[in-house]
Amino acid sequence: MAASQKLASAGRDLRQRDVRVVLAALVIAVATVATIALFASQLQRTLVSSASAFLAADRQLEAENGRPVPQAWVAGATSRGLATAQMIEFSTMVFGGEGFQLVAVKAVSGDYPLRGEIEYQATPDAPREMRSGGPAPGEVWVTPRLLRLLDLQVGDPLEVGSLALRVTGLLVREPDGGFRMSALAPRIMMHVDDVPATGVIQEGSRVEYVYLFAGDEARLDAYYKWLQPQLQPSHEWESIRDGETLSESLERAESFLLLGGSLAVLLAAVAVAVASRQYALAQRDTVALLKTLGVSGQQVGRLYLRRLAVWGLLGVAGGLALAIPLYWLLSGLLAEALERPVDYGVDPAALTPALLTALVSLFAFAYPPVRRLRHVPAMRVLRSQPGESGREALPDLLIALLAVFGLVWMYARDLYLVVALIGGLALLLLVLAALGWGMVAGLRRLSGGGSALRLALVGLYRHRRASLSQIAVFAMTLMLAATLILVRTSLLDDWQGQLPDDAPNHFLINIAPDAVDDVATYWEQRGMPLDQLYPMVRGRLTELNGQPVLEAVSKDERINALNRELNLTWMDSLPEDNRIVAGQWFGAGETAGVSIEAELAERLGVTVGDVLGFTIGSQTIAEPVTSIRTVQWDSMKPNFYMAFPPGGALDNMPATWITSFYLTRERKTELNGFSREFPTVSILEVDHIIERIQDIVRQVTQAIEAILALILAAALVVMAAVVSATLQDRQREGALLRTLGGRQSLLVRATMIEFAVLGFVAGLLGVIAAEGAVWALQFRMFEAGFRWHWPVVVAIPLVSALVLAVFGRWQLTPVLRVSPMLLLRRLE
Amino acid sequence: MTDPNRPTTTAGTPMLKVSELTHRVELGNDTLTILQGVNLEINRGESVAIVGRSGSGKTTLLGLLAGLDTPSEGSVVLDGAVVSDLNEDERARLRAQRVGFVFQSFQLLPALTALENVMLPLELGGVEHPERKARELLERVGLGQRLQHTPRQLSGGEQQRVAIARAFASNPVILFADEPTGNLDNRTGQAISDLLMALNSEQGTTLVMVTHDEHLATRCQRQFSIEAGVLSEPAGAERRREALS
Repeated sequence: MAASQKLASAGRDLRQRDVRVVLAALVIAVATVATIALFASQLQRTLVSSASAFLAADRQLEAENGRPVPQAWVAGATSRGLATAQMIEFSTMVFGGEGFQLVAVKAVSGDYPLRGEIEYQATPDAPREMRSGGPAPGEVWVTPRLLRLLDLQVGDPLEVGSLALRVTGLLVREPDGGFRMSALAPRIMMHVDDVPATGVIQEGSRVEYVYLFAGDEARLDAYYKWLQPQLQPSHEWESIRDGETLSESLERAESFLLLGGSLAVLLAAVAVAVASRQYALAQRDTVALLKTLGVSGQQVGRLYLRRLAVWGLLGVAGGLALAIPLYWLLSGLLAEALERPVDYGVDPAALTPALLTALVSLFAFAYPPVRRLRHVPAMRVLRSQPGESGREALPDLLIALLAVFGLVWMYARDLYLVVALIGGLALLLLVLAALGWGMVAGLRRLSGGGSALRLALVGLYRHRRASLSQIAVFAMTLMLAATLILVRTSLLDDWQGQLPDDAPNHFLINIAPDAVDDVATYWEQRGMPLDQLYPMVRGRLTELNGQPVLEAVSKDERINALNRELNLTWMDSLPEDNRIVAGQWFGAGETAGVSIEAELAERLGVTVGDVLGFTIGSQTIAEPVTSIRTVQWDSMKPNFYMAFPPGGALDNMPATWITSFYLTRERKTELNGFSREFPTVSILEVDHIIERIQDIVRQVTQAIEAILALILAAALVVMAAVVSATLQDRQREGALLRTLGGRQSLLVRATMIEFAVLGFVAGLLGVIAAEGAVWALQFRMFEAGFRWHWPVVVAIPLVSALVLAVFGRWQLTPVLRVSPMLLLRRLE
Repeated sequence: MTDPNRPTTTAGTPMLKVSELTHRVELGNDTLTILQGVNLEINRGESVAIVGRSGSGKTTLLGLLAGLDTPSEGSVVLDGAVVSDLNEDERARLRAQRVGFVFQSFQLLPALTALENVMLPLELGGVEHPERKARELLERVGLGQRLQHTPRQLSGGEQQRVAIARAFASNPVILFADEPTGNLDNRTGQAISDLLMALNSEQGTTLVMVTHDEHLATRCQRQFSIEAGVLSEPAGAERRREALS
């Protein structure tokens, strides 16, 4: 047995082209899947922590009633092992430099922020730096705008109420500097211990006490369970799962990556299947010989099983050796984009899909043809036996398909994706079957003749079984690659469409009704007309069909929208990027009804016709839902959960107006003049956030492109595997044709035409199937309708024809270089 | 340069004339001389056997005669065309129009049926109705019932019959056979050589056969032996030939 084992040793194996292809396919599959899974898990962690950073904590408790919460609540959190911090937010006039200014004060305790960091500058010209804590007692940090407004210098005193603080730095960005209503006027940040000394906070002042909590999910949940019964309506418990633009961008990136990973799994499976089948065919003589030497079928089976195990180990080791550095590289890119360190740790759970991919590819795809080697008759040594018919392989193929789709499902956890891909592949095979029939019918009558074209077509017909299976594999490969390219294009378009370079980056809020026209005129005169202005009324959703809303909805749902005041509006036309999904938009002159945002409606279980009750100040109103609409939360335009018709229920409610607009960095100083003219209008600057998101999108795009490249490499390996499977036959044929008097140029042209036809047909089929699959995916992911992506539809068949023609030419090179006699001898 | 397409010359000139043919191959730093100063003249319609042991250089000689390779020195004139002066494509055209081959290992394309294998040279030569002619030839070699079988489904003898049919398909003026019975048992080998000889005389083809089988060699009109790259016609053979003619 020792000699036969040597015959089957891994080292000897590696010298065989088919084995190298199997290994390359495995390495690339493991590398792609592992990189993607690791990076996706990185994104997931980053997502949670960056969203947490938006709260500066994992959870926030806001008291909107102007009173601190009982001390026992904070103690309860500390005793449950949670980290806590405190903030007090209020507006007040400050005095310093040249005069007075209304500011939004954020007083923070020493532990703030629990998550994320504060971006800080020592002076307006100093570099930005990240700080893990706020100002010390006696100090204050101010936004650059306030510095300009009051003509202050760092080091100057600033009086907050009756307390003089010293300006010790500039507040560039707070981790939780989102879209909070209290964060509108220029911001100053001071220490919470200084607040009593200012004397600003009196009974009845508008103050928000905010408590921050951080810790693991179980402790947070336990704490919330304990806290919840004690909460009053004025208490708002905020978790991180609110639709933040950043999270959404990253989530889409993640789902794209998972799709890419799934396709990589499929591609790898195809490559492994093709190469190992070829390997098994080539091994038949060896097995026959072993059998004549007395090795039993069982022993043969064990021998090859051991080999597969060795390949698996090598593939996994090689794949991980490639994946981990790549993952570090991508994480580095992400860290750069987020401007903060990320955890480079390798999540072992993320490696499971890669290991399973290797295992399934090997045992569902490589093992069946190898297993059949057991049945190779010893007689083969004496006389070559008929080759395998396709029928024996059919059950294996079905098992393999099931296995791989199970894998994709497990990996992407998305049945729809699996169905879309199966659908695409089924479509492809259907067209292919029709094509095969057409080929047999159309080319049967054709015979060679001297022209390269006829020779090529005759070649296609005579090798029709090989041609069709090659087309099938090429087409599947191209379909998967095309799907990814198409989805990537839509994804990027989608992102760019959402956040164009001139996306609104400033909000004007709190515009009094009588100032609306003046504000609009002000900007119009400066060549910057405002987007639409919307009225805004603060109110709470309190009743659903006459029942208190908190009782009417499921207790399991934590709906933040119910815990706080909502911005209600009225509008006569539907905003461009909103879409009605149920009911109808208000007709002309219609004054009854309310339009509700689709996601909230779904969570509340509200449908058209349900009656919503609102409490606005001391008044209540009730209106039936007349339409449900989707809202682009990440459009950086004013968005509303609830919209009423003009002249409707909100008509007499106290309203302020809101709008957003785009202001270039160079013109930012104009905000100062505006503030002076309209001191009561609040300006919300989101340009930093937008720049960050655009940065992240850029970097994530790079990551996606790196992975796309990896997957296209996998596709090339598949193609190479398929082409090299027929290498020897084709070389023999080429040599013989030359011996029989075929001219070199004829041979070259015929081969190139034959491959180009293969490539073109496969490309066309692949791209058609890809369009089908992408349509199905997009229909759900992006809610887009079907459209042909002409550049891709045209490019893929042409590129694939060209690439294969070159492949074919390259295969022929050895045939052309040496004399036909030498070649025939070598191939004997 | 000689035009390989010019019409076949009259019966007076030899079909194959080889002068001072020498062939060397480079093996690393060494140069190995495989053929040394070979001179040979074969007339039209003659059948010639070249006999030698394995490694004597006989297959190399056959390849050079047929224009499958080019010699280091010397010239080969085949049917009036100076093969050694032709470029690769011109030699290919010469082979397509005037040369047939039979190999020891048959050299059939495994993916093609018997019929398609025979059609191959006809198609390359741009012959009309290649299928009809291929069918006739396969019937002539006794394989009329096996047209659609692939080489794998045929026995060795049957495969060689297909190869012979293919060799005669393009009406060659000269046929080169390299150990045509080398892979066959005695009886089958006998049948194959019968067939080869019969077709050869039916078509008036010149036959050049390389073999180590003395018995097969004696069925040819002339025998040469080759040893260590040197070709010689056994003593008396010349006289016998003269007597025969």
